[in-house]
Amino acid sequence: MEYFRPKNFNESLRYLGKLKSKATLIAGGPIVIPDIRAKILTPNALVDISYVKDISYVKEEKKTIRVGGLTTISELASSNIIEKCAPVLSEAAREFGNPLVRNRATMGGNLADASPAADTATPLLVLGGMVVVEKHGAKSRQIPIEQFFVGPNRTVLKPGEVIREIIFPKPGRYARMAYTKFGLRNAMAISVVSLAVLVEIEDRACNKARIGFGAVAPRPIRAYRTEEMLTGNEVTRELIAECCEMVKKEISPISDIRASAEYREWMASVLLKGLLQQIFKEK
Amino acid sequence: MKEKKTYSLEFMVNGEREKVEIRPGETLLYVLRERLGHTEVKEGCGKVDCGACAVLLDGRVVNACLTLALQANKKKVVTVRGIGTPERPHPLQESFIKHGAIQCGFCTPGMIVTAKALLDENRRPTREEVRRAISGNLCRCTGYKKTVDAILSVAEKKESV
Amino acid sequence: MYRSQELCVTGQRLSDTNTYSPRSEGKVTDFRIIGKPVPRHDARDKVLGLARYAEDFSLPGMLFAKVMRSQYASAKIESIDTSIAEKLPGVKAVLTARDVPKNETVAQFGRSSTERGFESIYRVLADRKVHYIGEPVALVAADTEETAERAVNLIKVKYESLPAVFDPLLAMEAGAPQVEDGRSNIITHFEVVKGNIDEGFSEADVIVENTYQVPFVDHAYMETECGVAWVDDDGVITLRVSTQVIDHFRSVADILGLPHNQVRIIAPYVGGGFGGKEDITVESFIALLAYKTRKPVKLVYSREESILCHSKRHPYILEYKVGAKRDGRLTALKVRLVSDAGAYAYLSPWVLLYSTGAATGPYRIPHVRVDGYTVLTNNIYTSANRGFGAPQVCFAYESQMDELAASLNMDPCEIRMINYLSQGESLAFGQILKTHVALPETTKRAYEALGKKVPSQGGMRRGRGIASGMTSYGRMLFLHDTSRSHVSIEMDGSVTIRAGIQDIGGGQASSLCQIAAEILGVPLKDVKIYIGDTALTPLSGMTTATRQLCMSGNATLMAAKEVRKTLLKKAGELMREDPETLDLVDREVIANEDPEKRLDIVDVVRACAAEGLPLYHLALYKAPSRDLTQIERIEGDIFADFTYGSHAVEVAVDLETGKVTVLKVIACYDVGKAINPQSVEGQMEGGAIYGLGYALTEEVIIQEGVIKTPSLSEYLVPTSLDIPKVQTILLESGDGTGPFGAKGVGEPSVNSIAPAISNAVYDAVGIRIRGLPLTLEKVMRAIGEKESPHPGSKTNIATSDSVGRNQARQNLLKGQAKDSSDLERR
Repeated sequence: MEYFRPKNFNESLRYLGKLKSKATLIAGGPIVIPDIRAKILTPNALVDISYVKDISYVKEEKKTIRVGGLTTISELASSNIIEKCAPVLSEAAREFGNPLVRNRATMGGNLADASPAADTATPLLVLGGMVVVEKHGAKSRQIPIEQFFVGPNRTVLKPGEVIREIIFPKPGRYARMAYTKFGLRNAMAISVVSLAVLVEIEDRACNKARIGFGAVAPRPIRAYRTEEMLTGNEVTRELIAECCEMVKKEISPISDIRASAEYREWMASVLLKGLLQQIFKEK
Repeated sequence: MKEKKTYSLEFMVNGEREKVEIRPGETLLYVLRERLGHTEVKEGCGKVDCGACAVLLDGRVVNACLTLALQANKKKVVTVRGIGTPERPHPLQESFIKHGAIQCGFCTPGMIVTAKALLDENRRPTREEVRRAISGNLCRCTGYKKTVDAILSVAEKKESV
Repeated sequence: MYRSQELCVTGQRLSDTNTYSPRSEGKVTDFRIIGKPVPRHDARDKVLGLARYAEDFSLPGMLFAKVMRSQYASAKIESIDTSIAEKLPGVKAVLTARDVPKNETVAQFGRSSTERGFESIYRVLADRKVHYIGEPVALVAADTEETAERAVNLIKVKYESLPAVFDPLLAMEAGAPQVEDGRSNIITHFEVVKGNIDEGFSEADVIVENTYQVPFVDHAYMETECGVAWVDDDGVITLRVSTQVIDHFRSVADILGLPHNQVRIIAPYVGGGFGGKEDITVESFIALLAYKTRKPVKLVYSREESILCHSKRHPYILEYKVGAKRDGRLTALKVRLVSDAGAYAYLSPWVLLYSTGAATGPYRIPHVRVDGYTVLTNNIYTSANRGFGAPQVCFAYESQMDELAASLNMDPCEIRMINYLSQGESLAFGQILKTHVALPETTKRAYEALGKKVPSQGGMRRGRGIASGMTSYGRMLFLHDTSRSHVSIEMDGSVTIRAGIQDIGGGQASSLCQIAAEILGVPLKDVKIYIGDTALTPLSGMTTATRQLCMSGNATLMAAKEVRKTLLKKAGELMREDPETLDLVDREVIANEDPEKRLDIVDVVRACAAEGLPLYHLALYKAPSRDLTQIERIEGDIFADFTYGSHAVEVAVDLETGKVTVLKVIACYDVGKAINPQSVEGQMEGGAIYGLGYALTEEVIIQEGVIKTPSLSEYLVPTSLDIPKVQTILLESGDGTGPFGAKGVGEPSVNSIAPAISNAVYDAVGIRIRGLPLTLEKVMRAIGEKESPHPGSKTNIATSDSVGRNQARQNLLKGQAKDSSDLERR
């Protein structure tokens, strides 16, 4: 196996362009190393971008937040900018994996791995995230997060493409958001269901609603019809109950050793009710 | 076919400079244990599920089993042996002994490293924060109670850690 | 005068070292070190990262071993071609069954002209057939781990698939595929019979009948199975291995066709055992490879390999029918136990014997019939796991007691108090309980310690549960258990203990140091212990059955006392005092009547040495024992003593998610005498969490013989965020068979927590779950069923829980279970 340590992002793209399918990119390692150990991956070359500093950042601009692909999950969790502007993402980062792996896992890595339960995906879905992807000798692509995942562990990333950054608009001042993750034990638990909600409230009506789920479909998804039910309406107890019924129709969970599809469906609606009640507390 | 190409790894381990030729696929855990004799770094699962291999990498606690050794190049690694010595044990180590937080002892090196990282970042954690910090370190013997007591006891003291 | 004498014998002293508040030093005894929460001697090396476990040891020229394992649950081996593997550069040996001098060992027990007894087959490597997924088929030793692994993949095995059976109930039926050719799948049957069961039920005012189920569970020790073997001087095959039993050297020698004195096993500190390292794990493999290659060989199981191929806790199907009078007195108990032994017997018959004997719990029942069966299947084999068959039946009988209480509208504590056996009464199989039965105290203390009840809020329902258990410590009497310990005092007054114990984290070695330090009046730091070496330490027996403290502790006590006697006799001569009036304190001999009169211990030692007096003693401690004339019907004394304890638990059940959060656990045990209270607390706290995992999250899910929980991501043990507040209350009756009246607590501490949690869930939400673990989904479904029991109702999500349960078994049980909805809850 060969090993390459590019000094910056453009150099890493050049390496990947040259080596093509023989190379595997490694960032923090939590995906690639266990896969090598389990012989799922047998790369001829490793391109180690963990030393590339120029795509590790959290930047606040006038209207957007930009997070570099190599930002670690613990950097996300402790970022003041994210806490201030997008606490739904901080919360997900704090619940990710375990305290040790957070110091190595990266946002880009988490998205590229594309687990249906990917922890950073559900907040990005409700934040309206855009994945900025680059490839050597090609134009930069901006892919809305809803279109980024294709299926379990499959994305639209083409060979040689690397996530440079993720950008999302700064939520408005009427925005309220919440995140929850539900697993079989209190730590180090792969999600049975994860959920992020972002709404904009003006007066007593819900202006905008975004609902993102993980672990209840082949990829992280938005519950569009449920969002529509909320949008433009005064949020009452009855409306929340209706949303919880609607959401069951929008998800397609599987049964596995962790939970049955039925239980996941049940939990999706229970968690949604919980988050909506939490957000619309005064109702 | 894989080539047996080796690369040079230069880094600090517990304050000592190490230089070793290794293959790219070798994890930090493997290199520390098998090449450099740091058997205090334990393998409990090899895939981030147990925390037995916790080491500090440039001050941050990480699982050595999922860090490539080459990713530690030019960096500082600290294991439990770098946190305290027989001549000068760290207050955390004294506290673990005093509180009876060690039974079979296999998870202990990882626990000490994680606890050290916690106190470096948060000198006065609450009980809940301690439990959260060690939630990636599994222990099968103690039930965690005395471990948390031992760490909290140091957190409540004035001495530097 | 040595003051411990008055506390050693059986007595009714019930002093309370309540360790929730600062300990009362010296309140009860005059001990200097016994009874004190002193730091363990091994703690220092472990916390500094200096302790070397089995895997941390290497030798020059060492080879690495890998095991090639079956991917079939049941298949004939048609051929094995190792030729390509052997040719791989770096490979030094590839072995199959035909290369093993004695591949198969058949152990027989209890066979006589009238009794069938039972047999246990152990195979090093599969020969004609494979019986479970993961069964070892071939061994490889190579210069690197990577080469060994590649070689394993180059071994070509031709299998012909055979019928398999994965359900023990099906395996019991005539016509079921035979797991082991020519042998019944039913390994053995044990029974307990007392009185007349039909009469007992006819006397009952109320009868409660239920079937319970407990799963396969993994030990999940942090250190996996591992070891290094090499050929030492004089051709001695030497193994340094993570084990609970160095006595396996005999079996290893037999396997190699060598005399017993040509094999040496060393046990360094073990990173957790819990019964999973009680059977032979890597020993045969590394010994064989070292023997064949004449080079050192190391084998370390990965976590996945450990979960795949080492023994599991027995799953049981427990059918319980209990009858009682309206006032709560039990009249009859009928039990049928079926355990899944997996593909090989290992310790299944013994675990079954424990369960069958313990099936009644600590209760007075005039009419009893218990039938226990252990059955071969093509699943992973099952064997010892902390509790050894006791936690399984405890879950059933303690759930039954609560169900009985509910049907009689009685308080759960009250119904237990009425029925607890007392000292002097006998268990159903006739064993008289000769020591104090502290259950009324442990029940009361544990429950009271829960404190004031906090009301439920919203969808979080609070509940409380109590459960008690009695667990034996020490091996079964008919095994004629012994232990040896050698204590010596050096010329400089330091003390050396040599005892072949295996220290698996329970402070086994440390307790012996405390005992010797106490008796010989030296500081704890002056005691050095050498453990676990069949060549250099006297054999102290296995670290299993919670026997080490009472067996080796007593042996050490005896040995230390002999050395003390020698020293004091000489000191008496030198000081012109009666030895009976002298004491050893802080490296000095002092005269009790005149404390000014003292002698340095070194002077006494030198004087003894000058006369050639022995400054050491090798003591043999023999446990009480008996002979058995037959084994199938359990009768008379089986164990020397039992540890009694209770768990009281407070839970909060989330009605919307089914999540059970255990808020508080109180563990109250009569530990006899806490040699080191901190160590005892540690065992009780650790045992409570070990049992908590059993209750809530741990299950090795096996479908068609395939393990679906292959790593610690799927097999969930409690993390630091999953633990409740645990409070331990230690009671000391002084009635144990161990040194100073100590009882064993390692296994008993796990016993009753699972049913306590289940009982608390019932208290909280009125649902009874009869299958462990109490997963969120299982609880949720039960809540849903309770709230809207109509089939087809929206919220009535179907009650089958974990995936892949065998429909045929459900049909089988339909005729026996009282309430058919119990079936579906499985």
